[in-house]
Amino acid sequence: MIQARHISKNFGSVKAIDDISIECFPGKCSLVIGASGSGKTVLLKCIVGLLEPDEGEVLLSDTVFNKLPFKEKKRIRSGIGMLFQGSALFDFATAEENVMFPLDFFSGMTKEEKRDRANFCLARVGLENVNKKYPSELSGGMQKRVGIARAIALNPKYLFCDEPNSGLDPQTSILIDRLIQEITIEYGITTLINTHDMNSVMEIGDKVIFLHHGRKLWEGGKDGIFHSGSEELDDFIFASNMARELRKSLNGI
Amino acid sequence: MITRFLSLTGKYFLFLKRVFRKPEKWTLFFRQFFVEADKLVISSIPLIALISVFIGAVLVIQTANNMGSPFIPKMYIGYMARESLVLEFCSTMVCLILAGKIGSNISSEIGTMRITEQIDAMEMMGVNSACFLVLPKILSATLLTPLLMLMSFIVGLFGGYLIVAIGDMVIMADYITGIRYAFNGFYVTYSIIKTAVFSFIICSVSSFYGYYATGGSLGVGRSSTAAIVAASALILIFNLILTHLLL
Repeated sequence: MIQARHISKNFGSVKAIDDISIECFPGKCSLVIGASGSGKTVLLKCIVGLLEPDEGEVLLSDTVFNKLPFKEKKRIRSGIGMLFQGSALFDFATAEENVMFPLDFFSGMTKEEKRDRANFCLARVGLENVNKKYPSELSGGMQKRVGIARAIALNPKYLFCDEPNSGLDPQTSILIDRLIQEITIEYGITTLINTHDMNSVMEIGDKVIFLHHGRKLWEGGKDGIFHSGSEELDDFIFASNMARELRKSLNGI
Repeated sequence: MITRFLSLTGKYFLFLKRVFRKPEKWTLFFRQFFVEADKLVISSIPLIALISVFIGAVLVIQTANNMGSPFIPKMYIGYMARESLVLEFCSTMVCLILAGKIGSNISSEIGTMRITEQIDAMEMMGVNSACFLVLPKILSATLLTPLLMLMSFIVGLFGGYLIVAIGDMVIMADYITGIRYAFNGFYVTYSIIKTAVFSFIICSVSSFYGYYATGGSLGVGRSSTAAIVAASALILIFNLILTHLLL
């Protein structure tokens, strides 16, 4: 379980996130939504420890993660998988070596065992015959899949995804969403996803948290999102002309 | 400006503290060490050889041109070319050239990894990215670049030999006598020490600028330029300090 309690982070005089508390549960996908600059990535980075929150605490399975000494943090980090916005695959390594990278550092496996595990993870995300290809030889969707394979290589308890659909076409986006959801359920992972893609919200959003100007304005299930009563959330959901027209015609029925 | 300089210096030493940690996996460290040795040092051999052979030849021509007096033995042409090569060219000039080649390579590589979140991904996994990425570069360059300096010295003398063989400014026997005359072995040691120190500066400064690159591809370009400028300036300053201390 992931708990963030009263997290705040400032950059100079700019308040990036202000007093945000969230809870995410195993086997469920929790989605943080909001416009660009709303503080989604800062919140995610504070939770995973890439940024130090100015106030508040982050609990991973009831352990206060952000106040742990470096060595303890490192031990817990081997149980965290993360998919970055641009995949963040290592350019110097092939797809297989990318997946093997965390295994090289944190498993006592032999080379053969590591290779088998990497092949298993790549097959799990639907990628075969790309083992020897470098990230630059893969499409955006394939890179995301390799990123997911790398994130699950060590059987993580927590999975964090920063805008997993950015730069992907709608069909590939749905495939990636479903893959994340399947993995979350299959391995009982606690998954937290940053997105501004409403398709993802409707597809896999077990729990949705809406951020606006660094503050949490709404939290609930995907079914309640259209009846939130929050003007800012409605503006976010129905930002496009098409969505507004659709809403108008549905209201007229 | 002084505050900024002190803050940058402090940040640099804190960065070095993170770099000089015990590697988490020695097998991975040695693998990276050899990869970096190939990329930074071995790949520089053709460039350094090319420059050295021409500089050796030019040094002989210039020295011969400036020694018109019949009272100065011609063997001094070889002697002076050798001294110029070993004392200054093969260490300082070669390292200034390497600051451009290796420095830009390192800072742009690490800078790109920073802006594409590859370094964040390593940190996320609990890997000390500074140690994993930078330590093999610094150690391979610092330990192996002195061999480049020795190669440059030999190739430079060979360049002089070639121009003597095809020109008529000095006879071959005088040139050979000159390059063997009053040889001080400590000058080679001095040059090796300088090269090792300069290589450390090039790798650590370039890595530092790359590691803290911000602002997309423009930021990577800026960090690359800043790394080369800073490394070159430090090489010149440490050249003066080391020469004063060692000679």
